[in-house]
Amino acid sequence: MIQLSDVWYRAGRDQILSEVDLHVDPGEFVCIVGPSGAGKSTLLRLIHIEIFPTRGKILVANYDAQTIRAKEIPYFRRRVGIVFQDFKLLEDRDVFENVAFALWATGVRRRQIKKRVFQVLAETGLSHKRYSMINELSGGEQQRVAIARALANEPFVLLADEPTGNLDSEATDEILELLKKINRKGTAILMATHKEELVNTLPVKVVKINEGKIIE
Amino acid sequence: MSLNLLYSFREGVIGLRRARVATFVTVSTIAVTLTLFGIFLVFTVNVQRIVGLFRERMALEVFIDNSLSSEQIKKLDEKLSSLSGVRKATFVSKDEALKRFKKEFGEDPLAFLGENPLPSSFEIKIQQAEQTPQGVETLAKKIENIEGVEEVVYHGKLFRVVDRYSRIIIFADILLSIIVLLAAILLVANTLRLTVLSQRSTIQIMQLVGATKSFIRRPYIIQGVLQGGIGGAVGSIVVWGLVRGVALRFPRFLEVSLPLIILPLFLGLLLGFLGSGIGVKRFLRA
Repeated sequence: MIQLSDVWYRAGRDQILSEVDLHVDPGEFVCIVGPSGAGKSTLLRLIHIEIFPTRGKILVANYDAQTIRAKEIPYFRRRVGIVFQDFKLLEDRDVFENVAFALWATGVRRRQIKKRVFQVLAETGLSHKRYSMINELSGGEQQRVAIARALANEPFVLLADEPTGNLDSEATDEILELLKKINRKGTAILMATHKEELVNTLPVKVVKINEGKIIE
Repeated sequence: MSLNLLYSFREGVIGLRRARVATFVTVSTIAVTLTLFGIFLVFTVNVQRIVGLFRERMALEVFIDNSLSSEQIKKLDEKLSSLSGVRKATFVSKDEALKRFKKEFGEDPLAFLGENPLPSSFEIKIQQAEQTPQGVETLAKKIENIEGVEEVVYHGKLFRVVDRYSRIIIFADILLSIIVLLAAILLVANTLRLTVLSQRSTIQIMQLVGATKSFIRRPYIIQGVLQGGIGGAVGSIVVWGLVRGVALRFPRFLEVSLPLIILPLFLGLLLGFLGSGIGVKRFLRA
């Protein structure tokens, strides 16, 4: 599934990660907790194969970060969903189009796109907002659109980088509930957050990270 | 594949509509640039043509001894025609000279002189390579020494003036052509690169969700080709209209071929393709 063995990452003079070992099983919910600058985002970017480790081995599904070819990366990304603190939505399109975007960008046919978009919008509780523009939505709703988009291609794992970082406590609870629901349906989740109190309430595996090292 | 292409085309067109203001700015920039380029092209081609016409007129008049027999004239004709630097030697008989005189001055010398005073002559057209003041002078000297030739007349001063100015004009024109072409290329390519750059969040998200590079590139290339093509077409139409307008007032002043008119359109399409293609490619690599 996801397997990191003795992973090191260096950016210029800064040693960002060292000796990282991490394992995520299929369908597991894992939280990476640590202060800002601890290396959580870097870890997720390594798993998403946006950057490559300086040392060590990263296996995600059947892809090896060391040997993956540039041409294979888009196909790899379709199997890994990702959401961010700042949502990264297309402001000039409505909810439906934002979710459909992930499908058409990966070459899915139109009729199938419509069907699949309605399906994920229903799963994320956004059916009634499908024709709203992004700026008409609350932060929590925007994050749900981002999650719906990440789920559109039916990934085996959802990476979430501070998904509640921009949200109030009510919206945070809603998003966590949604993530739990998604996880119950079998999608593994790897979430990074600096709010330790958040994960204490969740029935999840917690990995603590500080100064680039896993401490617990 | 064809379905994908159709989709990219649709997405490209939708993208243009979505960013209407940017599209308008881009297309009008390209249109203005390529119109300027087209006008300059027409100008250049015609300057070259008119200068060529002037050079063409560098001809020599060779007056010959009036007592020569037709046999001797024929031999002289052969001799002149075979000289290096001569493109064409045409015999102008006394009668022919008289006809030309009447036509040019509207008076008949026979009426007040009682006889035809005009000598027979040869009109010598010069080969292009010799159409220089020195070339003409050398050739004239050579002809003067031939037996049966009385006098060689040519407008040496005019030749020198035409020669000097045509060189300056052609040099300046070529220099300006290069500048205009470079400006057009840079302006169109950069405008399209900026368009691509303004779409960077969309491109980032496409990469995030697993779109292949060629899939990401395609709609932008289609957009570039459309914008370049529309801008270029406007350029071509404006240039065509201007040429027609000038032709109404000064017929035969401009000579323009169809390829010349549609060159802005072609350049627009080509620059649209290359500008957007390179723009996205650079962005995707970074």
